[in-house]
Order: sequence, then structure tokens, then C-alpha cells
Amino acid sequence: MDFDRRGFLKLGAVAAAGTAIGPVAAAVTGQSPAAAAGKRLGMVIDADKCPTDCTACVDACRKENNVPRFTEPELDMHWIRKIKFHPKGVEGAQERSFPAMCFHCENPPCAHVCPVAATFIRPDGIVQVDKHRCIGCRYCIVACPYKARSFVSKPVEPAEDGNPNVPSRTHGVVEKCTLCAHRVDEGKEPACVEACRATGQEAMVFGDLHDQASAAAELLRTGRARQLRADLGCQPGVYYMGL
Amino acid sequence: MAKIKYTRIGGDSGAYYGFMIVSALVAALLPIAALTLYVNGHQVTGMTNQVPWGMPIVMAIYLIGASAGSLVLSAMSTVFGKTEYKPFARLASLLAVLLIVAALMAIILDWGRPDRILVPFFHFQPRSMFSLNAILYNTYMAIGFLYLVALFQENDLWSKRLGLAAVIIAVGVHSGTGAIFGFVYVRELYNSPLLPPSFIAAALSSGTALMIIILHHTFGATGRPFDQRYITGLGRLMGLFILVVLYFIFIENVTRSYAPKNYEAASFLLLHGGKYTFYFWGGLILMGLVVPAALALNSVTGSSVRWILAAAWMQLIGVLMERYLIVIPAQILPLELLPGMEITSDFMDGQYAHYSVSLVEWMYALGLFGVVAFGYGLAIRLWPMLPEEALINDTPSAGADGAAN
Repeated sequence: MDFDRRGFLKLGAVAAAGTAIGPVAAAVTGQSPAAAAGKRLGMVIDADKCPTDCTACVDACRKENNVPRFTEPELDMHWIRKIKFHPKGVEGAQERSFPAMCFHCENPPCAHVCPVAATFIRPDGIVQVDKHRCIGCRYCIVACPYKARSFVSKPVEPAEDGNPNVPSRTHGVVEKCTLCAHRVDEGKEPACVEACRATGQEAMVFGDLHDQASAAAELLRTGRARQLRADLGCQPGVYYMGL
Repeated sequence: MAKIKYTRIGGDSGAYYGFMIVSALVAALLPIAALTLYVNGHQVTGMTNQVPWGMPIVMAIYLIGASAGSLVLSAMSTVFGKTEYKPFARLASLLAVLLIVAALMAIILDWGRPDRILVPFFHFQPRSMFSLNAILYNTYMAIGFLYLVALFQENDLWSKRLGLAAVIIAVGVHSGTGAIFGFVYVRELYNSPLLPPSFIAAALSSGTALMIIILHHTFGATGRPFDQRYITGLGRLMGLFILVVLYFIFIENVTRSYAPKNYEAASFLLLHGGKYTFYFWGGLILMGLVVPAALALNSVTGSSVRWILAAAWMQLIGVLMERYLIVIPAQILPLELLPGMEITSDFMDGQYAHYSVSLVEWMYALGLFGVVAFGYGLAIRLWPMLPEEALINDTPSAGADGAAN
């Protein structure tokens, strides 16, 4: 057979269709593992119960997960942070706050863009990073709408009094909130939620959003909780009240 | 057309050794920079958790773009039947391969863990443009190399087949590169369906500019007869490609500026973005596009080799700025976490980020140019890449007569 220009064009068209089908098929038919397992771990956070000067959740997270503090603010890593907010253009508006961490989306853009599938969704809905597979390309940081991810941009010495139950870290990879998967797997709550409760505020409620008996699901049923940037379609597992 | 005789360059002049020594020294900056980065982490760069992509990514997409332009020039004779360009087919495909190799270096050495280079071979994510591009870039590199081999074998049939395959894959490579950014729907300055095609247009214009400069200097330095009408012809081609780039940039920015939700992003780039606005209007639009297009397409300057060379240099620098403006400003703008609210945090939410190219990144970028220059110098010394002469058969055509100045 004479394999001429037309033949090559056909081959090119088939190849192009092949590369396009993968993502489209995943988008149309893909069912998230969380949905398959019927479990959806998540959180409902009430901004009305979150004092602007309280950082209990942030401190607890840093301690639990050995997240170091870098002196350079632009390099510093944040698994959870307190966001202060007030309406744009309103003179003298009261400043309020809420904590933000990885929202463990059902359609996580970070996992979609990860070239080596180092970011994946556990059957219970937790979005995890395999730090032994991450190549450090940082596409996930660029793609995450919630600024949930941090790159370890310099060598970190392990803290002497650090928590031995979490993996050690190396520079050159991306990491983020794990929803304290190591604690959750032992039947405990994430460290931030526990710390919040200890302050007496109980602004953060953790649980299985699909379990109708859970406190988190009960809060969702009030109809007052909403996701941040729901318009993007990422389906975050963290909901907010009082925003 | 008479059979073209390709020969190696002599490579024993002081100028050649000078060129090679300087190229090698500049190329050595790349491993030094990459090692510094690997050992100390990205803290040695201007990249941060606010701006995770910096100069290495800018360089990667710049080199990928220039590679396409070279490849298209090479394919002009083998695939599109423009036989007058045949003398440069080998040279141009050599450059295409060298540039994509350098681009891959730019990408991989910028990873936090370049030692995990084999991981992408074993783990694939079909929704990730990086994952798809890994396939496209490697296929493109391999086919480019085989095409070069076919050219050396003087196998016209396979040159044509492989040349066409390379052109088709080049379209995929450049669309895929544009899509890395175009698909990021959360950042207004990235998200655009026009990025893939406009990426191809700028690839063609900058690739042609690069060929103009390389042909002029290579033939000048080796003293081989060279018809200056090649330069004027390529100059016109570059001018037309630049007009397409301008059109895409115009449409993209007008569309973006139309929606009130994008006012902040659009005005940041176009009006109040400080150095970014300056790079956009002064560097890209004026120096990189309007002036070189005017010079290349004007009948007086467009027939002067000197003016076309100036236009080509301006275009090359302009497209580097365009690549910089694709990558960086979108990361400078704060993400809209809570539309309608002013937000602040210790993680710099709600603030404009800062980025400036660090010394290590300049070394990295220069080193990549050095690698290409050294590879080019070495290849034309080792293998017969260059024709002994490049003269257009005179079947006089209107418009080309006054070209050879």
C-alpha cells in the first residue's frame, strides 16, 4: 500500500481522537471512588463561631503534621490558614474569619492535572498526595482554586519533638492537608477539629457527609451551608455557614 | 534542481573555536544552576508558593515554540514542495531536535525531584496536559530525529512521510503546550481556548525569526555562497505570522476585557500591572510584534537584510516576553476565593504576588541557550548539515529582484 500524505493525515486524526477521548470519557462516565464507596468525609465550618484572633486549628495542624514555619512568608507552607474577610467597598464593615484547608474535592483539579497520578482520591473521599511519586512539577498548585497546596522549597530538618505518626518530608515535592488521614483511620477527628472543639467554639464539624446520622450531614440539611466557589464544579467536601 | 552537496564545516578557525568555547561555558551554567536548585530547593529561585512557575517554564515553552518554526521551514521543501528551501532541510530539522531536547531539559531540571525522571514513564494521567505532552514531546523528538536520518539518507519518500508526521505532531505539541495554561479554568489570565492556536502562531513567527538569524550568520561565518533572497522571503513569512499573532492577542484580550468579572485581571495586564503592563505594550506589542511586522512587510526595509535581521531579533525577544506574559501574570493575580469579599491571610490570600527572575534562573535560561548553540556548532562540524551553497535558481520573479542587498 502506498502510504501517502492522505494516509498520514488519517493516522494523525486517529491519534488526535485517541488522546482526546481519555479525558472526555473520564469526565462523562467517571464516578468518583468516594461516591462508589458511599462514604464522603468532609466538614462543615461555621464562620459565625470562628473568632478572628483564634488560631487554635492552625497551631494544632502544624504540630500534628510537623509543618515547619519558614521565615519567608512567600515560601511558607500552609496546610490550613485563617482567612479574614469583609465585604468589598463597605466602609467600616466588621472583619470576620474562617479556616481554609484542602477541601478534598470530588472533582479535584489538582488530581486531574497531576501528570503521574501522585494525587489520588481515597474511597472515603480524602484527596491524598503520594509524596514518593510526586515529581515536583507544581502543576497542582497552579490548578488548585483554593490555594490548598504548598511546595517544600527548601530542605527541612525533622523536628526533635515532632509527631512520629506522620511521614517525614523532603524538599522538592508538593504537600497539603491530609484531613489527618492517619488519625481518621484510627477513628479520631482531624487535629484542627479537635483543637477547635477544645476552645469551646465548635466551629468545625467533621464527619461523613453521606451518613444522614452524622452531625455534619445534619448541618448540611439546614440548607445554610455552602461550598466556596461552587460555580467551578469541583464539589469541595468542606462546607461553610455564616459567610 | 541540481543535486545539493552537503559538507561538514572545516571547524578549524579561531572564530569557530571561540564560538564553541563560549557556547560550552554558557552551557555549563545549566548544570550548575540545576544542581544548585536540586540541592537547595526552589528557594534559590524567584519561584514561591504564590508563583510556583517561573523562568524555567517560560524557557521551556519558548524553546518548544522555536522548535516548531524550524521544523516547518525544514518541511517546506520535503512536505510542501517549496524546493528552493531544500538546502536548509537538514539544518532546520537539526535545530528543531536540539530545541526540543533543550525544552525537555528545561522542564525536567525544574522539577522538585528530577531524580524521579522515570516516574512519568510508569504512571499516566490522561486528563493531565503534562502527561499528554510527555507523550507528544517525546514522539515529536523521536520523529524529528528519524526525519533527520531520512534527510541524510536522501530518501525523498521517507523524508516526506516523516516530515509530514513531524508537522502533524508539532501541531499537537504546540496546541498541547498552550493547553497547559488554557485549561486552568480558575485563573482568568490562563483560561482561554485561544491559547493553543495563538501558541502555534507565535511558535511559527519566532521559529522563522530564529532561522533568519541562524542562516545569515552560519553562511556568513562559513563563507558559503548564500542568496540573500532567502532572508527577504523568510522575512515576509515572519511578518505574516506576526500579524496572526497580533490578531490572536487582540481577540483574546478584547474578549477577556468584555466581562465585568474579568475587569481586574484584564486591567492588571493592560493598564496597571507595572512591569507586566510595560512588557506587554512596550516589549511584546511594540518591539516584538508591530515594529518587526512593519519592518518585514514594508517594501523598503523588507528588502534589506540588515533591517530584517533587526526585525528577527526584535521578534525573538518579543516572543520570549510573550511566553513570560503567558506564564507569570496569571500567578501574580490573587485567586477569587470569596467573590465580593476582601480577603487576607498569612498565606497572602487576596494579595498580588511578586516574582522576579533570580540569578540561578538567569543562569538556567542562558545555559539552555548555550546547550543549543554548542549542540548546533558541534553537529555542523561532525556531520554534513550545511549545503556548499544556497542559491535560488534564477527564474526571475517580480518582487524578488531588488531583494539582494
